Amino acid sequence: MFFHIVLERNMQLHPRHFGRNLRENLVAKLMKDVEGTCSGQHGFVVAITGIENIGKGLIRDGTGFVSFPVKYQCVVFRPFKGEILEAVVTMVNKMGFFAEAGPVQIFVSNHLIPDDMEFQSGDMPNYTTSDGSVKIQKDSEVRLKIIGTRVDATEIFCIGTIKDDFLGVINDPASV
Amino acid sequence: MSGEEEENAAELKIGDEFLKAKCLMNCEVSLILEHKFEQLQQMSDDPRNQVSQVFEKSLQYVKRFSRYKNPDAVKQVREILSRYQLTEFELCVLGNLCPETVEEAIAMVPSIKAKGRVHDDEAIDKMLNDLALIKKFE
Repeated sequence: MFFHIVLERNMQLHPRHFGRNLRENLVAKLMKDVEGTCSGQHGFVVAITGIENIGKGLIRDGTGFVSFPVKYQCVVFRPFKGEILEAVVTMVNKMGFFAEAGPVQIFVSNHLIPDDMEFQSGDMPNYTTSDGSVKIQKDSEVRLKIIGTRVDATEIFCIGTIKDDFLGVINDPASV
Repeated sequence: MSGEEEENAAELKIGDEFLKAKCLMNCEVSLILEHKFEQLQQMSDDPRNQVSQVFEKSLQYVKRFSRYKNPDAVKQVREILSRYQLTEFELCVLGNLCPETVEEAIAMVPSIKAKGRVHDDEAIDKMLNDLALIKKFE
């Protein structure tokens, strides 16, 4: 799920950036530093949408750098255990398939794919029901439930399932 | 954070910070990111170099999965759903997935039927109808 939240960060700025454009420099550096990063607590920082407040700077002993506490609003993407969302399938193999929902990767193991779907190898590996009516392959859109998350220093990785009511393929690229 | 271990969106256990935060539906994120992308486009010739991979992937994702494209419709969806005493998180899951039946809605957002909540099947059905109407007239 995407959220709009306020975060705070201490920004260190070199004295050469002081002057009329101090604020712009600070904001530009903030965007460069945090956009695209990921933390376990807040998820992926997608975009900064506004600055709430820039506090008083504090000179660092010995270096001349000044640190400013900056409060900013941003759009973050944070997946939760138990959340249901839609994702695009990126890779299919006999272990299961990988899907992507925005910046996050989700793996669905073949144990968590309904039992009536069989793996078919070939140019376009896929999972298909015995009657061929439902097919999961690269670029399919699926609705899945997140059942586990693993948080890395710079990435969040999820485990999902489609073995539940109202989950599974919502759009098959081959049929349109 | 001590609650991290037992996090479960189905029971709305998503941490205090996120429960109180403003959630965004995919269609709202799409409006925000496209606006930002346009701004960057005006500042430089090749905005693709300026944005992070996370931004680009998110933009592609929300464009693909936005149920409502028209900004007025997006506003209306939020307005209608906010009449039903939903939490921000529930509101956005419903707005994103647009379930068609009451059973589907409950499967997607089990917490709307949790004890102590006022929703009966009839109210949920009316809510889904309202949502479908917006989509129809968009």
